[in-house]
Amino acid sequence: MTQYWRSLEELNNPVEFKKNEVKLEIDAKRAVAKKASGSSRRDFLKVLGFSVATAAVVASCKRPVNKAIPFLVKPEEVTPGMANYYASSYFQGNEYCSILVKVRDGRPIKIEGNDLSSVSQRGTSARVQASVLDLYDDARFKTPLKRGDETSWAEADEYIQVKLDQLKKDNKKVVLLTSTIISPTTKKVIQEFQQFYPNVEWLQYDAVSAKGILKASELSFGKAFVPDYRFDKAKVIVSFGADFLGTWLSSVEYTKAYSAGRKLMDKGDEMNRHYQFETGMSLTGSNADVRFPIKPSEEKTILTALYYQLMQAKDFITIAAPASPVDITGLAEDLLDNEGSSLVVSGSNDADTQVLVNAINNLLGNYGKTILTESALNTHAGNDENFEQFLAELKDKKVAAVLCWGANPVYNHPKGSELKTLIEAAELSVSFSDRKDETTAACHWVLPEPHYLEAWNDAEPKSGVYSLAQPTISKLFDSRQGQETLMKWAGVEAPNYYEYLKKNWSDEFYQLQTKYADPRLFWNDVLQKGVFEPEVKSGEALSYTENGLEKAVQISEASTDGWEVALYQSVALKDGASGNNPWLQELPDPIAKISWDNFAAVPVKWAEENGVQNESVITLNGMELPVFVQPGQAAGTISVALGYGREVAGKVGDNVGKNMYAHVQVKDGAKQFWFSGAKVETTEKTFELALSQTHHSMEGRPIVRETNFNEWQLDPTSGNELQEEHEEHAVTLYPEQEFKGHHWGMAVDLSSCVGCGNCAISCQAENNVQVIGKEQVRNRRIMHWIRVDRYFSNEPENPKVFHQPVMCQHCDNAPCENVCPVSATPHSDEGLNQMAYNRCVGTKYCVNNCPYKVRRFNWFKYVGNDEFDYASNSDLGRMVLNPDVTVRSRGVVEKCSFCVQRIQEKKAEAKVAGRMLEDGEIQPACVQSCPANALVFGDLNDPNSKISKHFKNERNYHLLEELHTLPSVGYLTKVRNKKA
Amino acid sequence: MSRNFYVKLRLKQVHVFVFTFLSFLILTTNLFAESVVTDGHSNEEVKRGERFFKGLLPFKRDYSSCVSCHNLQLTDTLNWNPSAMDIALKYADKDFESFKAVVMNPVGVKMEASHVNFTLPEEDLKTVKAYLDNLAHSGVPPAKPTHFNLILFLFLGVLLTWALADLIFLHKIKLKIIPMIIFLGAFGWQVKMIITDAIKLGRQENYAPDQPVKFSHKVHVGENGIDCMYCHTTVEQGKSAGIPATNLCMNCHIIIREGTNSGKFEIAKVVEANETGKPIEWTRIHNLPDHVFFSHAVHVGSGKLDCKQCHGPVEEMDIMEQYSDLSMGFCVNCHRDTKVDFGNNGYYEHFVKMHEDLKSGAIDSVTAADIGANDCMRCHY
Repeated sequence: MTQYWRSLEELNNPVEFKKNEVKLEIDAKRAVAKKASGSSRRDFLKVLGFSVATAAVVASCKRPVNKAIPFLVKPEEVTPGMANYYASSYFQGNEYCSILVKVRDGRPIKIEGNDLSSVSQRGTSARVQASVLDLYDDARFKTPLKRGDETSWAEADEYIQVKLDQLKKDNKKVVLLTSTIISPTTKKVIQEFQQFYPNVEWLQYDAVSAKGILKASELSFGKAFVPDYRFDKAKVIVSFGADFLGTWLSSVEYTKAYSAGRKLMDKGDEMNRHYQFETGMSLTGSNADVRFPIKPSEEKTILTALYYQLMQAKDFITIAAPASPVDITGLAEDLLDNEGSSLVVSGSNDADTQVLVNAINNLLGNYGKTILTESALNTHAGNDENFEQFLAELKDKKVAAVLCWGANPVYNHPKGSELKTLIEAAELSVSFSDRKDETTAACHWVLPEPHYLEAWNDAEPKSGVYSLAQPTISKLFDSRQGQETLMKWAGVEAPNYYEYLKKNWSDEFYQLQTKYADPRLFWNDVLQKGVFEPEVKSGEALSYTENGLEKAVQISEASTDGWEVALYQSVALKDGASGNNPWLQELPDPIAKISWDNFAAVPVKWAEENGVQNESVITLNGMELPVFVQPGQAAGTISVALGYGREVAGKVGDNVGKNMYAHVQVKDGAKQFWFSGAKVETTEKTFELALSQTHHSMEGRPIVRETNFNEWQLDPTSGNELQEEHEEHAVTLYPEQEFKGHHWGMAVDLSSCVGCGNCAISCQAENNVQVIGKEQVRNRRIMHWIRVDRYFSNEPENPKVFHQPVMCQHCDNAPCENVCPVSATPHSDEGLNQMAYNRCVGTKYCVNNCPYKVRRFNWFKYVGNDEFDYASNSDLGRMVLNPDVTVRSRGVVEKCSFCVQRIQEKKAEAKVAGRMLEDGEIQPACVQSCPANALVFGDLNDPNSKISKHFKNERNYHLLEELHTLPSVGYLTKVRNKKA
Repeated sequence: MSRNFYVKLRLKQVHVFVFTFLSFLILTTNLFAESVVTDGHSNEEVKRGERFFKGLLPFKRDYSSCVSCHNLQLTDTLNWNPSAMDIALKYADKDFESFKAVVMNPVGVKMEASHVNFTLPEEDLKTVKAYLDNLAHSGVPPAKPTHFNLILFLFLGVLLTWALADLIFLHKIKLKIIPMIIFLGAFGWQVKMIITDAIKLGRQENYAPDQPVKFSHKVHVGENGIDCMYCHTTVEQGKSAGIPATNLCMNCHIIIREGTNSGKFEIAKVVEANETGKPIEWTRIHNLPDHVFFSHAVHVGSGKLDCKQCHGPVEEMDIMEQYSDLSMGFCVNCHRDTKVDFGNNGYYEHFVKMHEDLKSGAIDSVTAADIGANDCMRCHY
């Protein structure tokens, strides 16, 4: 039988590992109160006794008096205690998502995916889910600031307008530095601002740009754009270092499309095949059918070889293909078999590499089929070339003033510290940032913007796809939209961006449709739906030319000495802009399962040879980094995540991990996210990492079941043979449960799940799951109700990876239920394993008796406790709490409830309306926004429901079936599509 | 072991209660000490005003004292007249002349009738204003708490200690059964007191707090026959029944500006709230614990329960009070007895087998508990 392992220690010495693990767990449990509060158990009891006595005295003296304050005039659409959903658009860090914002009594508390968008298709990412917490960030600016001191808008406007007029008169250059702007109306505002101040130059800058693709498409198609990749149309997907399921370009869209091409339910369903060439183990690589660990410098060589092989196969050339470091003949054949339905992408920012990719795609006839050139992805407009020029001009004092809007180059540009002094020394520097960041700290003036959930905006993420963003709460602080600030300076007396936006929509976009005869009706419709996708697509397909190819196929000899280091964006923090978001900081990395730090991922073999282990410290060009021995890391390479090491982010994000942006190199006018010739030295030091990969162990029992596509085609039960065997042996002493009305169940398609962690954050937002900090994560106390387990199999140099979301299995014969001495966790009439917090006395018997390790104990009071100074330690941060879910106190056990509050809400709706519930009407938080459609929830009592079909599927199995716990969660076997 | 144990226990209890009592004393003395004179009135003025207000000044009068209509403390029957605090707050920022004008030249039927023939000397009226200003500033002195239960508890404690002492050391009473009965009786009574109080802890049956506006459900519902849902509009769709928005009050009170009982003073508060945009801060009566989730929609919108079933005879309440104890037992028992309208609500078609059983006569009705209404996670999540 295949061995599945979670860490190298487990692989190499399972017996010792298990012993050690038990010991570690006990040690962690012993360290309960000691570390966090510095007091002993005895003190704890004293305090407990005293507080009980005090509480009793106080409670008997006075009864709390609550106020009930009604509306003066109740808005028609608001019902106190019921949530409203408003469509809006998320666009941050080059990531676009159409969303629905759940607003409860005037407060946005949850983000949901919007079905109507063709881009995000109801999916979200963990970053999108967590963005609602950014709204209630303590690091946000409360007022405008002048050199760090509070000031007024009037004072700021007066000073800056005079200054700008002066600069205009002197004809000195002013640079408006923004991140990519995809809002057509904002672009118009900027244009008008530039007309008013002709000395203003607008520059878009991104932390991680797509300059390579932009340059390559300019060469190949005569237009700098990011084409529209259609992963759903591709049967063979080849990715060179592009983490398109995690962070690359439009990852939610690609995840939707990718998993749609891998959905196997009925006989005859097809499945795409995915090849991944990459250095470190990325989220995308972990899902690949065939993965080649390569050095970053080898990427172009392989592409060239592939190009020549394809050319040869098509008899266009006869010269021998250059040697490739890995064997790609099978790949070339596969591509040739799927001409017009294959897709080659590269994450490289090198124009030559991208030109090669274009040439290969053209050769395979993919343009117009799996890659559309008539439609462009607008989310990556950052221009590294112009930025370098700006930097030089700023140095030469040619640029007198900098207006910084959404970009944070002091943090995420290699020359950040130099830029910092230059911005400080400029005649005028203004930041529109809504919260603390490194660049803002260097600016003279801070004119804070509202958070995107407080603001009006629009977006055009892809050409011809428009969407609106609307405020869902009135401004929390004294902020003003950047657009209004620019309009004000451009001479508009009382700028109102909302009116401006509305007018622009009726001028520009109203004419693109015929459904509504009145611009107001059109506006209301778009505002309600959130998106506007007119039938007529703008633009035509562009034709390919071979420009630049000649240069691109030249193979330059890569230097072979030293290490090659790949810098990647982590799935949780991406470029690091949300560094102060504790939900994202605590989301374990999908592969390494490390939270609260970045680390150097080193190859297994080298680590073994040099005695380096996890948590050892190495120096990389002099910088100390903790080590994670990464199975699948290419030999001679190290991968480190960007987005960490923020210095001015706030109480949560400051000094977490190391900032790797300093190692980014700018080559040929584009940032390169790898470098060679690095010096690596081992040290004696160690650094503690919050590694949760081996927590919640299921003791090595066969949890993951897998098969290959061709075997599945022959026999859909392949890989799932154990199911039948276990069912045969199923004997129980328990009486059979009867579910009279509903019987809720969930299915997880392991083939669809890519392991992105969106469900964990979505659940965290919905169910008030608390952040506990690095130390407590190390103590195995992470509170996430749904965790994504990651297993490896095969050889550690290039393992197979499995992602498996595990939440409470809601067993019908639940082992946790019968050990509770106070009946705090009984079974419901609808098959839910219930948890009554007010009954729980904290014996933790249930935690110990749960074979799936899904129960979480509140070791501390995590809300309003200075020891846990994250989101829930301020009134502002607590505004995100869901009022429909109890905030658990110390000493009780909690776990996944299948979002019972949502079940109850929808049931109430149906009851009041006197109708039956529809299948799919109830969607727990994790299911609603899953970008891979991997989760299905529904009523098992309804034979026609989607969930019943999943449970009847041959691939369906349950975790630890042999225990006969009868879980209400089913898993569909993982199917890979390796060539037979 | 048991005797010693009881003595120790007793001593501990006495300690706790002595501590409580002392803290009460400290608290109340503190409050008195903090009543500082402000607003430019001298201490004497305020004191004199207070005595005048309370009718304690020794001179002949033809009319009753202020306090006889405008009460200082909360009373358990509805006093329609504005309380001293109400008046104090309203006139705290206004000058003496406007205060005098209202007292001496009343407007509105009710006030005219009671303030008729007022001939108050201006100095006295000034001291009353001084007193009221001070009141607005420092608040009403707290009512002396009744310590009946505590005294009874302590008395029982003394009794049982004595009985115990007699039983072991003193032997004054020949018949041993007597101190024994006294001991058991006193101890039993104390246990009963503790248990009943512990059960009541956090429950608020008959809770009828003072409200910022003397709104009478008896007048609105009982006398004028307004339907509950006219004001509590969200009861059929929302989790909460909803406290009516102030502008809803104005539907009627745009015209009705004077009440038969309350005169103009109370309705004026509503009008003012509507005009100033400062909503009325009602005191919430029905407080469920935070871990309890209740939906009116399910009970009223779908279950078609009568409001009275939980809220009692609201149409007879001048002062709104909590009628039921809203304990878990209250909910659970009702779920056990209440039959679900199984046939007419489409939602229940999910319960296929139960419908069959009903048809075949295996069961004659379905209660809420039968379809899982008493599951933990119906209310606790």
